[in-house]
Amino acid sequence: MGLKRLLATSHISASGLAAERQRMEVIANNIANANSTNSLSGGPYRRQVMVFSEAFDMALAGGKYNANGLEGVKIKGVESDWSEMPRVYNPGHPDADESGMVTMPNVKLPNEMVDLITASRAYEANLKALHQFRQMTEQTLSLLRGIS
Amino acid sequence: MIGFPQHTELLTKLMEVSDIRHRVVSQNLANVNTPGYQRLKVNFEDELAKQILGGSEVELTREPEVVKDNSLPVRADGNNVDIDMEIGELQRNAVLYQTYAQLMATQFATMRMAIRTE
Repeated sequence: MGLKRLLATSHISASGLAAERQRMEVIANNIANANSTNSLSGGPYRRQVMVFSEAFDMALAGGKYNANGLEGVKIKGVESDWSEMPRVYNPGHPDADESGMVTMPNVKLPNEMVDLITASRAYEANLKALHQFRQMTEQTLSLLRGIS
Repeated sequence: MIGFPQHTELLTKLMEVSDIRHRVVSQNLANVNTPGYQRLKVNFEDELAKQILGGSEVELTREPEVVKDNSLPVRADGNNVDIDMEIGELQRNAVLYQTYAQLMATQFATMRMAIRTE
């Protein structure tokens, strides 16, 4: 109860904002490395994906859904996309194998752009919720204004 | 004891439910890209309307319940949050909250007017 509970709604929206912003960072990194044939782990760059999980404090809620137990979204981690890497014929490339084939990163630009748009829209939606919460709080506070 | 009019209590309850619903919609929006997430909803007003229409005593002690909503089509990633619907719900809820707050303010103003000795 108290202040923590009062501000829990803004915490939910903030977790959504943080998660979507991080997702945009990962997407930007994928796009930036769409042609990187060398990575830190060796071999071409592998596309990274964000894994989200719902954050819910079961202990507080006692195993039942309760508005006070809701804690937004949690970032579970950044995982590699293990789909197959495309191979292109480019014998002049320094990373080409003996048959002249170069393994390219498995980043597909159209997919990244779609992900970027959905992340951006979800960010806006969370921001909207936060803004709306602020307005509602101001309205409640205005009830106290007339008393003095 | 000073008896506040019953609708003050009703308005308080409705504002509380509105606050909870805002929280739940925020949770849905935060999880719009979480695979397997099922949207949550708040049940309260339907039961209240039933009580009012039925002419029975309105129970203000009843807590609103937060339940999973499986009625919407599920996307490929197992998530059933419709972002447009949630934004609509958010707006609708905010307008309702504004209405309740305004009614409450008006009521307080009326009471102040009655108290004032001039």
